[in-house]
Amino acid sequence: MNAICARNLSKSYDGKSMALKELNLEIPGGGVFGFLGPNGAGKTTTVKLLTGLLSPSGGECSVMGVSPAEDPCGVHRICGVMTESAKMYGQLTGTENLVFFARAAGIQPAECEARANELLKRLDLWDARDKKLSAYSTGMAQRLSFARALVHGPEVLFLDEPTSGLDPESAQSVNEMIAELAGREGTTVFLCTHQLRYAQDLCGSYGIINKGSLLACGSLSELSAGIGCRTRAGFRLADGEKPEGMERKDGWWRTEILREEEMPALLSRMVEAGYHIYEARLIRPALEDVYFSYVERQEARL
Amino acid sequence: MKIVSSAEQAIVKKDFSEVWDTRMARNTLIAVPALLAIVLPVMYLVMIYFLPPGQLNGMDQMMRLFPEELKSFSVRQSMFYLLTNLICPMFFLMIPLMNSTVSAACSFVGEKERGTIETLLLTPLSVKQIFKAKVVGCVLLSALSTAASFVIFAVVISAGDILLKMPFFMNWNWVVLVFLLAPALTVLGVIFMVMVSGKSKSYMESIQTSGYIVLPIVLLFVGQFAGLFQLNAPVLLAFSAGLFALDALLLRLAAHSFTPEKLLK
Repeated sequence: MNAICARNLSKSYDGKSMALKELNLEIPGGGVFGFLGPNGAGKTTTVKLLTGLLSPSGGECSVMGVSPAEDPCGVHRICGVMTESAKMYGQLTGTENLVFFARAAGIQPAECEARANELLKRLDLWDARDKKLSAYSTGMAQRLSFARALVHGPEVLFLDEPTSGLDPESAQSVNEMIAELAGREGTTVFLCTHQLRYAQDLCGSYGIINKGSLLACGSLSELSAGIGCRTRAGFRLADGEKPEGMERKDGWWRTEILREEEMPALLSRMVEAGYHIYEARLIRPALEDVYFSYVERQEARL
Repeated sequence: MKIVSSAEQAIVKKDFSEVWDTRMARNTLIAVPALLAIVLPVMYLVMIYFLPPGQLNGMDQMMRLFPEELKSFSVRQSMFYLLTNLICPMFFLMIPLMNSTVSAACSFVGEKERGTIETLLLTPLSVKQIFKAKVVGCVLLSALSTAASFVIFAVVISAGDILLKMPFFMNWNWVVLVFLLAPALTVLGVIFMVMVSGKSKSYMESIQTSGYIVLPIVLLFVGQFAGLFQLNAPVLLAFSAGLFALDALLLRLAAHSFTPEKLLK
């Protein structure tokens, strides 16, 4: 069973323009799925549809087999959701906020505080536990929101830009926790972001969305193959050497190869041809290159 | 079976602290009952007690309109009777109405304004449970404040009764007013604010609209002053029954319109 499933999922807020157009997704359980797109692409609308905050204009979706349109409470029981617009209570302290949301999630009152304390320690908020949320910095409030999404031990986690506004250290600790949840604890993470570099480090598969349409879905190698972004062989040669059929970029001579297995043979040919090779490496397409290729292709088609 | 679950109790408790921590709501919850249940009756009592009866114009004509059993009252006693039975009921009914609209504005509109309603809707509680918990919280807070106000008001008026050697003020009008009309108005105030919350963008905006709901109460008592009708116990009872029926109808409508999509607009 897929953890998250959407079939022809569509949403229009005004009945005229479509914020989301026939989205089809099948995300298996465990791992981090990166949902990538610029602001206004339809990422948050998708999260709100998958968590039952919005009703779809068309199509259907499910989370762990539960339909958010029919049983939103069932979905909330198994999901943790962190969006930029879902705020917490400024007049309550960090602990009080977490205890409140733990109780609202149906956790036994005696267990709530222990759960809150564990998360506050894990997210480095222990020293600020008795401060009111209104006195928290943006980064601290963001981490508390993350803790809130985890307070009832969800099987699926929807995170909408979880590291925006965080300093590098906090962002790293949140990312490590996401990786740990997906790895060791088997949580499925649906991560919306436009920060492509950190998405590449964290995610096992991706969906690229722009202007409400899903452009592609799959692992990085599948996405690369789909748009024709190939792996390149790169060589750093002695000054003045110009190998035929290669282009130079950032001091490296590069040429596309179909498969990584071609690299040893190519390297042998270069040595035999008498080039002085200081360094040789495979340059795999970065998520950023693949993403922009898809978005540019869509823009060109429109 | 529990009326509210543990999770719903958490919302009620949180709403109590949220209303109390909102300075304007807290000030209103303290100032309105203090003014209407203590300051104004005390001022009026002091005025009646110390003003020479000869300086009160038109009292003779007014006293001629009193029921037979009250015609033995002195001028001071008559003045105090008018205060207790004609002016104070109007003041007193403002308390549940103001308290309920202010607490509901803070609980419903304030939550929307602060962006916390989305987080609440993401909990495993159903929208109906959230609605129920918030309505119960607002009604309870308002009822507690109204009850406390009545106790203080009763002490003030009883002191006046003793000073002026009058019988205890509590009559059937007051019984209906305190135990039926005030609760019905409390629920109406909360539901009115829930219905307004869908359209109001801020707490202040919603508070301003509460004026519309206070107006009928004022008109009701102005009508009595003008001699259009007399508000006795049966009339108040009928009025309370009508209000409860209206509450039930509006509660259904409000619950129906309380959806995530509308709240997150």
